[in-house]
Amino acid sequence: MAEEVILKVEKLNKAFGGLKATNNVSYQMRTGELSAIIGPNGAGKSTFFNLLTGYHLPDSGNIFFKGVNITHWPPHKITRLGIARAFQVSNLYPRLTTYENVRQAILSQQKKTLNLFTPAHRLAKKETQELLEITGLSQQTNMTAGNLPQGDKKRLELAIALGNKPDLVFLDEPTAGMSGEETHETMELVKRLNEEIGLTILFTEHDMSVVFGYARRLTVLHQGTVIAEGTPEEVRANEDAQRVYLGEEA
Amino acid sequence: MSGLSQGMMLFLIASGLSLIFGVMNILNFAHASLWLVGAYFCHSIWFRMQDYGFALWLSIPLAGLVLAGIGWLIEVILIRRVYKRELPEQLLLTYAMVLIIGDVIKIFWGVEDRIIVRPPEVSGPVFFFGIPIDSYFIFVILVGVAVAIGLWLFLQKTKYGHIVRAAVFSREMVSALGIPIPRIYTGVFVLGIFIAGTAGAVQAPVGSITLGMDMAVIIQAFCVVVIGGFGSLLGTLVGSIIVGEIYAFSILFWPQGALALIFIVTAIILVVRPWGLFGTPMRV
Amino acid sequence: MKRYLFLGLIYALALVLPLFIGEFWIHVAVEILILGLFAVSFNMIFGYMGQLSFGHAAYYGVGAYVTGMLMVKASVPLAICLPLSMIGAGICALIIGYFCVRLTGIYFAILTMAFGQLIYYIIFKWYSFTRGDDGLQGIIAPPLLFSVNAYYYFTLFIATAALIVMWYISESPFGYTMRAIRDNADRTRFIGINVRKYMLINFVIAGMFAGLAGALWGPFNRSIAPDLTNWHHSGTPVFMTVIGGPFGFFGPMIGSVIYTFLMAFVTGFTEYWPLIIGLVIIFVVLFVPGGVLGFYESKMKVFRSKVPKSEETIP
Repeated sequence: MAEEVILKVEKLNKAFGGLKATNNVSYQMRTGELSAIIGPNGAGKSTFFNLLTGYHLPDSGNIFFKGVNITHWPPHKITRLGIARAFQVSNLYPRLTTYENVRQAILSQQKKTLNLFTPAHRLAKKETQELLEITGLSQQTNMTAGNLPQGDKKRLELAIALGNKPDLVFLDEPTAGMSGEETHETMELVKRLNEEIGLTILFTEHDMSVVFGYARRLTVLHQGTVIAEGTPEEVRANEDAQRVYLGEEA
Repeated sequence: MSGLSQGMMLFLIASGLSLIFGVMNILNFAHASLWLVGAYFCHSIWFRMQDYGFALWLSIPLAGLVLAGIGWLIEVILIRRVYKRELPEQLLLTYAMVLIIGDVIKIFWGVEDRIIVRPPEVSGPVFFFGIPIDSYFIFVILVGVAVAIGLWLFLQKTKYGHIVRAAVFSREMVSALGIPIPRIYTGVFVLGIFIAGTAGAVQAPVGSITLGMDMAVIIQAFCVVVIGGFGSLLGTLVGSIIVGEIYAFSILFWPQGALALIFIVTAIILVVRPWGLFGTPMRV
Repeated sequence: MKRYLFLGLIYALALVLPLFIGEFWIHVAVEILILGLFAVSFNMIFGYMGQLSFGHAAYYGVGAYVTGMLMVKASVPLAICLPLSMIGAGICALIIGYFCVRLTGIYFAILTMAFGQLIYYIIFKWYSFTRGDDGLQGIIAPPLLFSVNAYYYFTLFIATAALIVMWYISESPFGYTMRAIRDNADRTRFIGINVRKYMLINFVIAGMFAGLAGALWGPFNRSIAPDLTNWHHSGTPVFMTVIGGPFGFFGPMIGSVIYTFLMAFVTGFTEYWPLIIGLVIIFVVLFVPGGVLGFYESKMKVFRSKVPKSEETIP
């Protein structure tokens, strides 16, 4: 597993009106990392993901992915290059079934979406079923996505993100709303994906046991600025981090 | 001059349309149809009183009030059922109203044109630096200005006006403050239709009242609101003036092309700045 | 599989229809097919992609005029006119759609309406080319299709072929991508799809089939007028789709059957058709929002939940 830099963020800035959501943030990830970004609510984590995935345009700064400058790229192009994202608030296709949700991502990745004449139900059967199994959604295959319980919705989020066969995945609170057991299952899956396929993963979480249990590197964000970075132990020992965030945590 | 009076007529129609859309997010296709009903009512009232000198001056506000009542009925029976629905259903409802009102006009007033004879005060020309100007045009423009000022005062200076402006900006905020949104909606709709009805009555003595006038006008009213920006009084005013002037100028260079020019300008605005010149920018 | 049997039955019925009903009603049947085709093409944008195009009649009209003018002015055979109409309508849809797909919701609706009116205006005013408000008369079908029955079978054949093509498109990955764009355009961007490009492609395809429907109308009606492109005519496929139900492929066709029948029936004894259809639409919008298909589906759900679950088939 080559350990080159897969993501490089340089001095990223974004303000909304008068509010500075991202303040001169620089960040780097190497291939195969399993890292986390934490910070209190409003720290700018989601904005950071939004900037990296093309949802917002930064005011200044650069983003490099696999060496390519993607700073001003639209979301669909960035996804094609190899970044996928699982959203904090489930961003699914509520009227389609779980199966159809996952299949849509796979068909897009296989570049079959301009196919006008082959019935879709004949395509990508194996890949879709595999992905549903991996993410533990085989039981819910035919359920309408809008009716899924919260935990399953988050799992479907993950499945859709994986459907794009990304090299880098952003997970926004992947275990929110899950029971202890579901959380464990999901994070074990995340860990397996990272170790077995070498998927580079960056996630945010409020559950500190998850963060410290799985992340190998931690970055702390506060009011849009990086205030601490390092291994979990280093961050735990960092006074700024303690004051701002960990000290608030029960 | 005719560009200005055309603009004023459009302003009177578009102001209610813009207000209703800005606050309630409902595009009232039937707005011009109700405007036309206002013209017909004005004629009917005037007809019964035409021997009196004040006939027209009484018919206009009366027609406006009748339309306000009709607007209230429509809001209560129909419009309020689609507040929570999606856009297509709302559009279809108001579009169906266009068809219904069109036939209702036919049933009650028949197919013949109606003409209101202007009272002597406004029949003749007024001379402005030696140029004769139709005095009724001046009246129309005065009414337009009065409505504009009235609405401005309402929106800027009264408590209700402030609530309405806040509602254009954010419905949730107003609701969170404990102000009943449904009552605001009813009030705004009735106000919008009142203005439309009065506008129709005011327009009635200009030329004749014909079936189908609403069709030509509603599209132009849409263009005005798009160009000026939904929910903005200033935008509606500017939009009407722009459209009125396009009319005036195209008569000189390309008489046939007035409407085409208006559509082209509207299309350009929609592509470049969909929320109009003075509307609140939003994610499209 | 039950559904295919049902369809087959309807089709068989359609094939033998002229044996049972008189010329007037065959006339109505042709109208149902043409307008139904128009409505199904509209639904590709509305039901499948989730946007309301209030100017779809523009492409119908362009298709009608391409065929009409080629036949009247250049005596081009109908068989060649049809694909040319589709191409002409497609080009219009490409140009107009390029601007429209940058918007969604109410802005999309108004922009498509504005462009539709622009096309109406061009056809109306360009008297030297299109004979404007006078309309184009004397569009005569080829001798083979001169009788109503013959034209009926011709239209049935073309419409069926078109419907089959559109059905395949709706069930293809592209069709599902349309549903994805409808349900969550943002998400669709994040799985790598250039939403604007796909919306444009769909818009053009829908325009082409509307053009085909318009092309069929000319020789049927023997004359065409600019009215075919105005925003009133754009309302017709919207009505049909809403009545029949926008979320099933055949909804608009069902709507066409109901609408056209109703219109033929009502105009037989009153001139107040707009009043009637206006009331019908309000009724459907307020009380039967899913249309006929939606109503049927909800009854089926109640039925299925009462029947013991054996195999759950995905509709």
